[in-house]
Amino acid sequence: MDYDKLLNIAVELGCRLMSSGAEIYRVEESARRFLQAYGLRSPEVFAIPNCVIVSITTPEGHPITRMRRIASHGTDIELLEQCNALCRRLCFDTPPVEEAQAMLSALTRTPKYAPWKVLMGYGMAPAFFSPLFGGSISDSVSALIGGLAVGACLLYGGRLIGYNHFFRTTICSAVAALASLLLVHMGLGQNIDTVTISVLMVLVPGVALTNSMREIMASDIISGLIRAADSILTGAAIAIGTAVGLFISQMF
Amino acid sequence: MSAIWSVYILPCVCAFLACVGFTLVFNIHGVGKLICGVGGALGWLIYLLAGSTIFAAFLASAAIGVFSEAMARLRRCPVTGYLLVALLPLVPGGGIYYAMRYCVSGDTQNFLDTLLHTFGMAAALAVGAMMTSSLFRAAYPHLFRPKSPRNPPGKGR
Repeated sequence: MDYDKLLNIAVELGCRLMSSGAEIYRVEESARRFLQAYGLRSPEVFAIPNCVIVSITTPEGHPITRMRRIASHGTDIELLEQCNALCRRLCFDTPPVEEAQAMLSALTRTPKYAPWKVLMGYGMAPAFFSPLFGGSISDSVSALIGGLAVGACLLYGGRLIGYNHFFRTTICSAVAALASLLLVHMGLGQNIDTVTISVLMVLVPGVALTNSMREIMASDIISGLIRAADSILTGAAIAIGTAVGLFISQMF
Repeated sequence: MSAIWSVYILPCVCAFLACVGFTLVFNIHGVGKLICGVGGALGWLIYLLAGSTIFAAFLASAAIGVFSEAMARLRRCPVTGYLLVALLPLVPGGGIYYAMRYCVSGDTQNFLDTLLHTFGMAAALAVGAMMTSSLFRAAYPHLFRPKSPRNPPGKGR
């Protein structure tokens, strides 16, 4: 059996899982189970949110290690579900290595929503959050417009505002604050706090917070701390961005 | 009757639709969208019924944890997506905003109050969902004995 190819597949699988937003234990366990299914005795897998290291020892006693760094990524649940299903199938069927490689490569063609649908999602969520915070219909409409503005910044502003997560969140929350101030001053929205909070809900670090606690519960303390720090930093970025937005509006 | 409608049912419908909006952002397809929405609505209903306190957030996230785990078992899918989206309405975005407002205006007392309340909410959410998740995972094999000793492979996709 070609152990180099097997190792490549395992690393690629872990990398795909990680970049779709899976937890650390899922990444480690999937890669380990996959390698064990192909008859390796004690494969070692180590993962933190932006790095996967897999090390195996061939039956001849030759150790091979591969490391893969993972760029910052979003969350793609469809890809996660398909990776998970594929891993189960590979572990159960153990097809030849080339076939497994082909199956993994086929995963790039997962269905994705068209950008305008994602943008609609960014608008829809704040619009329906505003009644939860006591907003009226007109507040909902302003939150919808603000959410669309923030979503457009996130989706299309990549090149303009860079890919730094902290900076991007700051800019987007400044946009959120400015958009809601503008809409309320134009007389569309009524309560400025409600509109701003509803729009900010699309930036809030809910994903990082939930994931960090999941890691800690699964006793991946390092990754849990990394994600907890991420969520606190994101919260700080939102506060700074909104403060900047309010400050700019006070100058006029 | 109209009070029940405006206080409980309408917010839950809104939470449902907001969560469905988020499923578009996180690329969730098919039945998953519905599950996420129902999870969010369920969490918000319990949060309202229990009185909108930190403890209410704990109860709500516990309910979301059980619901998402059950649905994930039912569909043989990772629980991650359902849990992430359903918890989003409860994440204290308002807390962050008000804390910032007090901080900028120099109102230290209110700032610290709001900040601590925000951290409390976040901790309640995290602990509630994760504890029930872990408990569910521990109890599940005893409640429903799996029919075959080994997991069958993922169906279809």
